Amino acid sequence: MKKVLSVLLAVMMVATILTGCSGGAKESNETSAKGEKVVKFGLLAPLTGTNAEYGKGFQIATQMAIDEINAAGGVNGYKLAIEVADSKGDQKESSDLARKFGDDKEIKAIIGDFASGACMANAPIVDAAGIVQLSPTASNPDYAGMSPYTFSIMGRQDAEAPFFAKYIIDKYLGAKSVALIYINSDWGVASHDNFVKGAEEVGLNIVAEANYVQDEKDFSSVLLKLKAADPEVLVIFDQGAVPQIVNQVAQLDWDVQITTLGPGTSQQILDLCGKNAEGLITSTPFFFDPESEAQTAWKKTFKEKAGFEPTVHPVVAYDCVYLLAKAIEMIGDGEVSRDAIRDNLQKAEIEGLAGPIKFSEAGDISRQYLICAVENGQFVIKEGYDYSK
Amino acid sequence: MNELFSKIKIFYEKHKLISFGIGLALLLAIPALFPKSYIMGIIDRILLYALLAGGLNVINGYSSQFCIGYAAFYCIGAYTEAIMSLRLNFNFWILLPISGIFAATAGLLVCLPTLKLKGKYLSIVTLGFSEIIRLIALNWSGLTGGPMGLKGIPVPNFFGIKIKSSISYYYIFLGLVIIFLFATSRVIKSKIGRAWLSIREDELAARSLGVETSKYKALNFMYGAFWAGVAGAAYAPYTRYIDSTFFTLDEGFNILSMVIIGGMGTLIGPVAGSIVVNLLTELLRPISEYRMVAYAILIIVMMWLRPQGLFGASNSILSGGKIKKKEERRKKKEVVV
Amino acid sequence: MEYFLNQLVNGISQGAIYALMAISYSVVVGVTGLITFTHGEVIMIGAFASFYIFQFVGNNLILGFVASFIASWLIGMVIYYVCYNRFFESPSHISLICTIGISMLIKNLAQIYFGPNQKPMLNVIDNKVFRIGVLQISMIQIIIVITVIVLAGILSFFINKTRWGIKLRTVSQDKKAASLMGVNVSRTAMIGNCIGCGLAGISGMLISVYYQTLQATMGGSLGMKAFSSSVLGGLTDTRFSALGGLAIGIIENLGIAISSASFRDIFAFGFLILILIIRPEGFATKKGARP
Repeated sequence: MKKVLSVLLAVMMVATILTGCSGGAKESNETSAKGEKVVKFGLLAPLTGTNAEYGKGFQIATQMAIDEINAAGGVNGYKLAIEVADSKGDQKESSDLARKFGDDKEIKAIIGDFASGACMANAPIVDAAGIVQLSPTASNPDYAGMSPYTFSIMGRQDAEAPFFAKYIIDKYLGAKSVALIYINSDWGVASHDNFVKGAEEVGLNIVAEANYVQDEKDFSSVLLKLKAADPEVLVIFDQGAVPQIVNQVAQLDWDVQITTLGPGTSQQILDLCGKNAEGLITSTPFFFDPESEAQTAWKKTFKEKAGFEPTVHPVVAYDCVYLLAKAIEMIGDGEVSRDAIRDNLQKAEIEGLAGPIKFSEAGDISRQYLICAVENGQFVIKEGYDYSK
Repeated sequence: MNELFSKIKIFYEKHKLISFGIGLALLLAIPALFPKSYIMGIIDRILLYALLAGGLNVINGYSSQFCIGYAAFYCIGAYTEAIMSLRLNFNFWILLPISGIFAATAGLLVCLPTLKLKGKYLSIVTLGFSEIIRLIALNWSGLTGGPMGLKGIPVPNFFGIKIKSSISYYYIFLGLVIIFLFATSRVIKSKIGRAWLSIREDELAARSLGVETSKYKALNFMYGAFWAGVAGAAYAPYTRYIDSTFFTLDEGFNILSMVIIGGMGTLIGPVAGSIVVNLLTELLRPISEYRMVAYAILIIVMMWLRPQGLFGASNSILSGGKIKKKEERRKKKEVVV
Repeated sequence: MEYFLNQLVNGISQGAIYALMAISYSVVVGVTGLITFTHGEVIMIGAFASFYIFQFVGNNLILGFVASFIASWLIGMVIYYVCYNRFFESPSHISLICTIGISMLIKNLAQIYFGPNQKPMLNVIDNKVFRIGVLQISMIQIIIVITVIVLAGILSFFINKTRWGIKLRTVSQDKKAASLMGVNVSRTAMIGNCIGCGLAGISGMLISVYYQTLQATMGGSLGMKAFSSSVLGGLTDTRFSALGGLAIGIIENLGIAISSASFRDIFAFGFLILILIIRPEGFATKKGARP
């Protein structure tokens, strides 16, 4: 028995080595079977594990973008392709995959990963390999500055959170006292700290604040705590748990103006909260206009392919592909190399589905925001991009 | 094939030193064979988990205390290394044992009050401890960076050479695994190791024979935790960024399943477990979402067919009473026939 | 004071759910004598069964109960044959690992077939809030507490007064002696396991009604809570397990009231470890109550 097993083991080892090598044999083969030139990207996404919802969204949205671009004739004569790899939300797997993409000369840029922890663990690897890692969602404020090759289009919180304090709470709602509830993650803490700075400038009174960890389900005791301080406005800093918090505020029979920073105009809130969401105010970098046919069509296609409504995450992943396509277009007649993509990505500017994108020196972006509210089960725009000017 | 095996066996028994030498040379040459950093990354991961699974095996396999929250000690080791090298500029090589000692101390803290508890209760205590440690790492922002994590952990320096890539890091992990295997094989053969084994097979009998079970159980737990701390300390500068999401309960379960699949109670078992599990998760990539399904089925099938694991101690209580009895019965029948 | 009383109400309704999970957990552990890690996934299956019933038939609580009970019962049968039936005489870690394996299996299959996203479970019960003096109690909280008490009563009657209950108790005390007395151990243990799983399924439904959402990955932390509540009560005794669940719910909520929700699990597990150090047998009073 032991011997059989050890033989099996040996066979397995050889098999992996061979698969690893055969991956390498195809190197520098830039033309596909039809004789078209192909540029390939790598996608790191958690297709299994707790964050599978977002990983799945990444996979579908990026494929949609690539299909569209290829159907329109590709970029500069190049067709695009994507290789999807499941990082399971595990940093070690993500790092190994980043190394794999780094070794594979065919892959010209990496899109992903979902969690900032994995992105930051990958930063030294992509830096050494000289390949762009463009994350749709990495939210740690330190991430983009870690290497010239790391980019994030999540939007810096030193723009949105102060905007939220100054223009939504103070100017739009005219409130004086707020209570904050935020997720205890890199993004949540950064947003909260920036919000507090903005609130101090306009003299907002923060009467109570509370935080909680990822996967929290029961907010009743935290909300009771905030309710005791009796604020005019409640601000929620999160993406996934916003619907639960909104529902539990309703369950407490607490009549307070709820505002939320993070989820944007996510369909999920409408689906999961129903009439509890009525009157909710949020800031968002983009808006799904029900009037606009292109956007409704996008939403519909996504729902058909994924089986659920898109949140903000697949939308930004979709933009990532267009951003890289733009960078390739800007290379023009030059060779499409990893460094050329990096240099042009830094300069690239597009009008994405999630608003305009233009990178800062570090490789992240500051967005412009709309103010939206829920009325009759729909998001409506209350104030445009120019409200803060 | 069998002939080849027996020949190798005979050769090994005749020339132990030479065959060790050949093995070592082969291991040292691996990076030359696989210049790709991707494959070396996977091999590094295998070695890291071999160290972790080996340490857990000392606890679960040699003294039958059932620790589930092993990630806690790994977490303590990694944070100790990261914090001390960032704040105090300590050298990596000194920090390896220091982190191990920190983790071992934590191990002592966990097991001291729980020595009188039976297996299941020790399990739940380690599980709770693992979550508590992770939440402390998340909430104590002043020390651990909280949710922002710790970044820019300095890379180790070996006589002026900066060890940065997965290829050069291979030697650190390899060295640690070899030291671990050597040290543990010595410990197991010593008086302490014998005491652990006797506790595993029958605690009551061991105590009545004069083995101070509490002392040896505590020692066992500390020794296992020590290696988790060392593994954590080696891992932190390897990724150069850590935060609390790296050390969840799932990580503990992952290490545990490697120990189980590889086999408890032998030195080679956890190493094999780490190789099989890590290679499988890579090989199963093509089936994407069904990867974890296949992995789960593998664990169940393993328990059904070989409860002691691939290379587990088949002559011990670990391999399961019922199955052993069946085999005995079969043997008896054969004799009768 | 008023604030703490209201926190206590929250703690009790959350504790009631934990109590039901702990009861079901201790039924499983009591009958099989083996620890399980699949409980969270059983809870999730129960929640999804009622979700689909509400989706297709409409918000009928009774139907939801039945559906989640049956679905979890069936899953319980699968778990029994995969994880316990063969391993009663083997070292306990073998079946433990089997349960970890099957929990991974169920969770990943659920993610694939039910979808990985959060699902809504809205307005199953009209949200009314009653005020009694300074206290504020919602309709859902009352329904949860009543359901848990009724189920615990039925279970207690079943175990103590019926033939099947006697069989279950003999099997949980001594399998060999029970089989000598002519009890079909395998069958009885399976039914006991399935009753425990069915109750867990109902608690899954209550949880998703209470929080108004459900997700394929919801089981993990819930299973841990069920486990620790049950350990607090001495693992095999249903009444003390219920007490353990209630205690953890209240401790958590009061802890959050004085500090932060980030420390929730520190309170839960810290309390558990503390109790285990002081009283290794948990709340149970009987000597030798530990398996």
